[in-house]
Amino acid sequence: MPSALSVTASVAPVEQESVAADAATEPDVPWITLVWNDPVNLMSYVTFVFQTYFGYSKAKAERLMMDVHTKGRAVVSTGARERMETDTEALQGYGLWATFQKDS
Amino acid sequence: MARGFKKRQGRYVAKLDAVERGLVVGLMEQVRELVQPAAVPDPEDGGDEFDRIVAGLGGVGMGVSLAADDQVPELTGGVPAPRDPALDRIFPTANRQDDQMAAEFRQLTEEGLRARKTRNLDTAISALGHLEDQKVSLDHDQAVALVVALTDVRLVLGERLGLRQDDDLDLIEEQVSSLAEDDPAVYALAVYDFLTWLQETLAHALLP
Repeated sequence: MPSALSVTASVAPVEQESVAADAATEPDVPWITLVWNDPVNLMSYVTFVFQTYFGYSKAKAERLMMDVHTKGRAVVSTGARERMETDTEALQGYGLWATFQKDS
Repeated sequence: MARGFKKRQGRYVAKLDAVERGLVVGLMEQVRELVQPAAVPDPEDGGDEFDRIVAGLGGVGMGVSLAADDQVPELTGGVPAPRDPALDRIFPTANRQDDQMAAEFRQLTEEGLRARKTRNLDTAISALGHLEDQKVSLDHDQAVALVVALTDVRLVLGERLGLRQDDDLDLIEEQVSSLAEDDPAVYALAVYDFLTWLQETLAHALLP
């Protein structure tokens, strides 16, 4: 994603993203929602969406946004499949490149 | 001269002249045509509906056309995609590991997402479309509608410009720098940059 004034090169997606720390405390949550980097969505906007939709703190929203930006993707939520589908649909509604999958 | 969004006493205030507002509204109208829920398909004359939509775009968007038919074919000479790639970006494949699950998700969500985006664009268009002077003053819901609508417009325009990776914008800017000032690609890129700037100011103003 571009910042306000400059655009930096993307980094190839990492092999496997580690699940966000607070999600890791919940056992047996086999589904994840991912947001992938894209060249259009702005860093400020992605942060705004994470704060608005998930209610994440500014710090957490910015950390996830930076993970998307620098690692190519980030796990933004973890839980039951239906919930991840809801999150994916909502994030796609905001224009983010969101997907869901079984955690592996 | 446009002035970006700032938060002032709970409202989101900017300055956009009539040309700038017309540009943004025109592009949002084009994207609304693209994303609005599909009419019931009629295999006998499915082309007519599409032709009507494309024909209806003349002059809107200050010369920047987002219609799929108006795009220059890719130089690779590949077989045309069965679906407008901009739609694949706005409604991306939602599961990269399981095609069946991705297809089910699309079937369950796409119409709803199209309706939601259409309503959102309606809100943003009317928020900018009924202004008497340069002063734009939006309430929170209108501001959110506009920042999301600007995303949809930039996603479609970015797809038309060929932005697929983070460094593509630099490459395109380099290519465009050697073109004549009145080249449509130069204009399209300038419009994209303007929308990026406008959205950036609004997203910052909206950050809690």
